[in-house]
Amino acid sequence: MRILVVDDEPPARRRLVTLLGDIAVGEVAGEAENGAEALQMMADSMPDVLLLDIRMPGMDGLEVARHLAGFEDPPAVIFTTAYDVHALAAFETQAVDYLLKPIRRERLKAALDKAVRLTRAQLDGLRNKQARARTHISATLHRKLHLVPVDEVRFFQADQKYVSVGYRDGLVLIEEPLKALEEEFQDRFVRVHRNALVAVRYVESLERDARDRYAVRLKDIAEPLEVSRRLLTAVRKRLKGQ
Amino acid sequence: METQSTGPGQDSLFLPSFCDVRVVFAVVLIGELIAMVIVLAQTPYQGLWDDLAVVSLFVQWVGLASSAVLCLARPWLVRLGDLPVALFSYALIVLVTGALTGVVHLWVLGGEVMHWGFLARNVTISAIIGAVALRYFYVQRQWKRNLESEAQARIQALQSRIRPHFLFNSMNTIASLTRSQPELAERAVEDLADLFRVSLSDARVPVTLERELQICRQYLEIESLRLGSRLHTEWAVNPLTGEAALPALSLQPLVENAIYHGIEPATSGGVLRIATDMDGDSRVAVSIRNAVPRDGTNSPRQGNGMAQANVRERMQAFFGGQARFETGVEDEEYWVSLVFPYRSHTA
Repeated sequence: MRILVVDDEPPARRRLVTLLGDIAVGEVAGEAENGAEALQMMADSMPDVLLLDIRMPGMDGLEVARHLAGFEDPPAVIFTTAYDVHALAAFETQAVDYLLKPIRRERLKAALDKAVRLTRAQLDGLRNKQARARTHISATLHRKLHLVPVDEVRFFQADQKYVSVGYRDGLVLIEEPLKALEEEFQDRFVRVHRNALVAVRYVESLERDARDRYAVRLKDIAEPLEVSRRLLTAVRKRLKGQ
Repeated sequence: METQSTGPGQDSLFLPSFCDVRVVFAVVLIGELIAMVIVLAQTPYQGLWDDLAVVSLFVQWVGLASSAVLCLARPWLVRLGDLPVALFSYALIVLVTGALTGVVHLWVLGGEVMHWGFLARNVTISAIIGAVALRYFYVQRQWKRNLESEAQARIQALQSRIRPHFLFNSMNTIASLTRSQPELAERAVEDLADLFRVSLSDARVPVTLERELQICRQYLEIESLRLGSRLHTEWAVNPLTGEAALPALSLQPLVENAIYHGIEPATSGGVLRIATDMDGDSRVAVSIRNAVPRDGTNSPRQGNGMAQANVRERMQAFFGGQARFETGVEDEEYWVSLVFPYRSHTA
């Protein structure tokens, strides 16, 4: 059993590694100090289980679990936490395994023995309790995981089956409904068209062409995005409001 | 008479809700007692029961009519301050008494000329009783408020002390260090013990600024074990401020806030600055600054302002309103500033 230890605190990681050595179940596949690093290590370390701290700077443990759910062959997840009242309540109802720090050796062993993958239903349950927007968008590009910080995203544009995510360095494709993205990131994105959301902070101008059609120009994006007539008032209001 | 039952006194008005059936009942009861006192005080009285019936009727009219107006006017009264409300209700009681006296005199008793003595007597009685009643309601509300705020202060004092998250994370750190670096673990246990000793001691006993800063240092010592290279601390302490007295644990919660909101949520950590200085000859200034986390954090942690409110309250109580507590954001730094009179701890 290959185990990836994810925690932002060095002593916490060290303790888990020591305990794993004591109980001699499996081997430590690697250590990551935040969520994004953990996801990036997935391809190389190929863990079967993640020991995942919930509260971490940047991408937290719950978000990591959500990204993992998109994997073809996701690892099992055991959450670790010192004290998170709200998260704990969600875990109990979703029957998700978690360990309380300082973690006992016996508890760790028992948890690893029965470690299973999270189901979609469990993840949804956790998500509802923790109504926090993701910090990153994950996409698989050439069989490799690609993480795009939401702060860097300029637009989401739906096209048939996929949604293309435009950011400074290019485009990635994800399979998520635009509607869900709109709800999750409503504080930073505004819908400009039936098929597109744009990041309010990257809008450089709202332009009108000779045929009276409107479009938004985004920072670092060559092509302007069309704004539908129906949404024009709402878009204007939102752009003014910032 | 409109008698709807609403919860008594949920708003800030010092008068009870006269729409409440229980309050109306109390008004009737008190009115009856007043009527009895008035009748018994009359010397000589002709027919006790006849007099009582007439006086009761009159007093009940005054009581119920005033209650009805106060009930209807309540939505408007709650928007006013204590003084306008008191003046309004007082004038109301006196006016209702005067008006009813007129009604009784002209129509019921059939007197053609107004008897001014009768009017003056009734108005004076109602003015005295009205004043006593208003004063009673006011004092009762004050007493209730004091009780509530005392209870709240006690709860806050308990809650704002040490965050459970800190306790359990520290325990975890110590468990980890016990094997790898026993000396560090030993020191962490000592620091933690000191911190808890202070937090369990009587918060009303003042400490020196130097001692309070030492507590902050011990707290940061533990946090730096946990956060490693993410935490950088810079101190600028003016030694002249060392002997200044202040309530115990008035800075540590602010430092803890800085870690919780500023350093912990940032992937690359940040700098925490603590500075003390003299502000003129007689005042001490303390400032705590932390970088506002930016990288990779979506939503800044929502605090409930409990720690700050608590510190502010205790500083104000200790310095009798002479302390200044301010916060702000400047150059991507969040700052908290405390300025308070210099009182030597030994004096």
